[in-house]
Amino acid sequence: MGRVYIVDEDVEGYLSKLCPQQAGPVTGLLIGQSSAQKDYVVIAAPTPKDEESAGKTVDKEWVSEHARQVSRMLPGGLTVLGVFMITDADAKDTVTTLRQLVFGVEKLISSEQQWSPAEDDVTDCVTLHVNPKTRKTVCRTFDIKDPKSTAKPAEWKYQSGVGSSWTTVSCWLNVDLFIPLPESRTTKGSAHKCLQEGLNVWTQQIENAVFLINGKKLPEDSELTSGQRRNVRQTYTAQLLTTVEEQRSAHVLQRCGGSVSVRGAAHCRAFLHTHKPKVKLAEKLLKRDAISTVATRVQMLLDEPLASEEQIKDTSGDKQQTEENCLPRRIFCPLRASGSLHVCDYQFSDEGLSEIVDRLKEMLDIDTAEEDLDTTQEMTAEITQSSFPTDPPEETNEELEPKRNNYIGAFMAAAAALLATAASMIYFSDM
Amino acid sequence: MLARARSRRCMQQLSGMERRLSLSVHIVTVKVVADPNTLTMFRVKGSLELRCHLDSTEASHIQKVLSRAFESLRTQMKSESCVFTVCDTPVIIWPNKGVFEDISPDSPCGDVLQRIQSDEPESGGKRATKKKSKKDWSASVANLYLMVEVTKPGPLSAPVINKTVQKSHFLSAALPLDCAVRTHCKETVKDVCDRLVEALTQQLCEMEKVMLQHMKGTTLLIPEPLHFLLPEPKGLVTVIFPAGVPDKELETQRRELHQRFELSDDRPYFRRANAYHFPNEPYKDGYLRNPHNALTHPTLENGKVYMVQGIYSYHHYMQDWMDDNGWGCAYRSLQTICSWFQQQGYVEQPVPSHKEIQQALVDVGDKQASFVGSRQWIGSIEVQAVLNHLLGITSKIMFVSQGSELASKGRELANHFLTEGTPIMIGGGVLAHTILGVAWSESTGQIRYLILDPHYTGSEDLQVIAEKGWCGWKGPEFWDQTAYYNLCLPQRPRVI
Repeated sequence: MGRVYIVDEDVEGYLSKLCPQQAGPVTGLLIGQSSAQKDYVVIAAPTPKDEESAGKTVDKEWVSEHARQVSRMLPGGLTVLGVFMITDADAKDTVTTLRQLVFGVEKLISSEQQWSPAEDDVTDCVTLHVNPKTRKTVCRTFDIKDPKSTAKPAEWKYQSGVGSSWTTVSCWLNVDLFIPLPESRTTKGSAHKCLQEGLNVWTQQIENAVFLINGKKLPEDSELTSGQRRNVRQTYTAQLLTTVEEQRSAHVLQRCGGSVSVRGAAHCRAFLHTHKPKVKLAEKLLKRDAISTVATRVQMLLDEPLASEEQIKDTSGDKQQTEENCLPRRIFCPLRASGSLHVCDYQFSDEGLSEIVDRLKEMLDIDTAEEDLDTTQEMTAEITQSSFPTDPPEETNEELEPKRNNYIGAFMAAAAALLATAASMIYFSDM
Repeated sequence: MLARARSRRCMQQLSGMERRLSLSVHIVTVKVVADPNTLTMFRVKGSLELRCHLDSTEASHIQKVLSRAFESLRTQMKSESCVFTVCDTPVIIWPNKGVFEDISPDSPCGDVLQRIQSDEPESGGKRATKKKSKKDWSASVANLYLMVEVTKPGPLSAPVINKTVQKSHFLSAALPLDCAVRTHCKETVKDVCDRLVEALTQQLCEMEKVMLQHMKGTTLLIPEPLHFLLPEPKGLVTVIFPAGVPDKELETQRRELHQRFELSDDRPYFRRANAYHFPNEPYKDGYLRNPHNALTHPTLENGKVYMVQGIYSYHHYMQDWMDDNGWGCAYRSLQTICSWFQQQGYVEQPVPSHKEIQQALVDVGDKQASFVGSRQWIGSIEVQAVLNHLLGITSKIMFVSQGSELASKGRELANHFLTEGTPIMIGGGVLAHTILGVAWSESTGQIRYLILDPHYTGSEDLQVIAEKGWCGWKGPEFWDQTAYYNLCLPQRPRVI
């Protein structure tokens, strides 16, 4: 009893289009949503071309890195389900490569994942082998939880309109994070650990929050459409109620070396493959999106503190240094002209929409125009000193330069740095 | 337990003079109405995060930052993100936004309580009947949670990240808010919620005061609200104490409170153990409290009932996985007495086990070392010795040469319950019991004894215990008429 993959016809057309293109193998990612029995595939995204490898061999690290970047562009409910490879090599011969690819991809993606996995999560990933001449597909799955897992055959079925009637659940989440930094700033690792712990506390708050739809708390197993009039487009706004955990009685003021605070609102969105999704699924996917979008953006911005780190080392520590930066804002792009699915991207304050359009093309091979992008969900924040009522700094660092963080550039540059360390660890352990 | 009300109205307001006292107290407006069945209480609990980032640890700076942090919490309390959820119901209320989910704002608050009651599993299927039994008291408190909504209608600005690098200090603490208001059934839900928001805001003010007053260098104590049910007409009072400070260091504050509320200064009312236990809050230890409240007390011609004052736990055979069937009755009576002293706040020691009781007797030289771990009986004298050694409590011993004499001890027993109010251990023949009260008529000499029987071996089933007389009123024929008896009458210390 293998898994069944229901694949949108557009994906079929797309894969066919890729077939006659080049001599070497074409790899890419398959994106969609899993459920207990079936999986739904709505996007096939080819691995961006890398000038160096010239497309002759399959670069596993490159594929994983692409997957890591792509998963940041997927709102809740859409995940990388697996990989595809278009090659005229025999299906038997590609099993190992595909297996390595898919394990590498999943490992890298889950290493960044901030939210806790659930018991009912599907742990199977798909590998698709496509023969460019015959267009024949061989579909196999592996259980990512089991390092010894072997290929299981799965069914690959094309259908029209997969993804056209998915339900959308969304909200604007008010974020007010305060994370103290360690006293000694000598090691970058300790600051990173503090940040991670602070994010974890916030993550748990979100995961434990009470989830409301239309102001009501519905039973987990009930369906979202219960009691509702039929909407043409199934969209729901959710609300989250949180509490604070009880703590110890005496409090000594803790020493710290500063703080990181994140304030503002994030638009969170999740897609659910059925017309009548269960409340439990909606809650899980929306919360995951909320956690991911905030954590991802914080990481994005704090991963590039090279300039400010050097500045800090020079000071005696008593002088205050403050930087304020806008987190990149979230922009949505419809997947197809019709249908409710969207992908997203993050726009830094020094970027224009054209860069977003370029990235969507490079990462997901989506053709879109600036006017098609939905920039209305999050507004660009204004940086003003007076917006921080608690503890306005006495002296400020005048250099409030927005971070120069061209995404594609980062992909190329950071990839090189990352691959040397992180990715190679993955492949070592996979042996 | 909620006190029965008389037909009097009483309102008290916090005056300016009172604000200068070092301990902050908020007196809940008390409306005492004729029909006790319409008396209800709404209690809201929840935690808010108090967060401060400080450039220096100089006292005035800490004060300034703390005050600012409390100010922003008060603003949050009055904001649209403040939410009440009613436990055991789907009712959710945004009090500052006027949004009421699953209930109408104008409905009487009694409706909320009915909703809670109807969700509780009732024994015997007595659901829709309006019969006001004692069980209805348990649904007369509505418990609400305070939560914060973190979602808002958008679109809104994307987040801004602010990184500050500086040697500094920070504080992140959860403030345990806990407010209770007594309400009349006919008050609307909206009005009650407004009162709760007001009470919570006020509590934040008091917490700020307590935190600032008890600040020592860089140590800040978390303020902790406790409710105390004072004798009518004062009613329910909420006091903010600094958490972690033991009772013995708070005597000055308690003295002030006693003065303000005109309470006698020979018995505690404001020790932590005296905190009011809300009716439907289960006790974590599983023991029954005051099973005698389930009984109907006898009415004797020209007679009055004199009973134990305060709360005790029912200790009996076979509890705590200890099989003391046949020999442990006096130990159990002693445990009941110890539980009284602990729950009235006189002592902090937990109720001693059989072994600890035996060890105490060895320590005072009353028994040999081999006594520990044995199944030997003890009597009133031993009970007196253990109370003295373990809890520092003195007791009087009353001796009757024959059981029939007990019928004439009405006056002494009545006096004991009036002035001491402690449970009495009585041992004689081959049995030990606990006397919790006496019904006595001075003119006719009729007498009944409220007995708590430690020989019960069953589970903590109040219905069985009450119906089968394990806690019950007995006549003078209950005693072995020819045996001699010793009674241990514990004396309560005159302290606050």
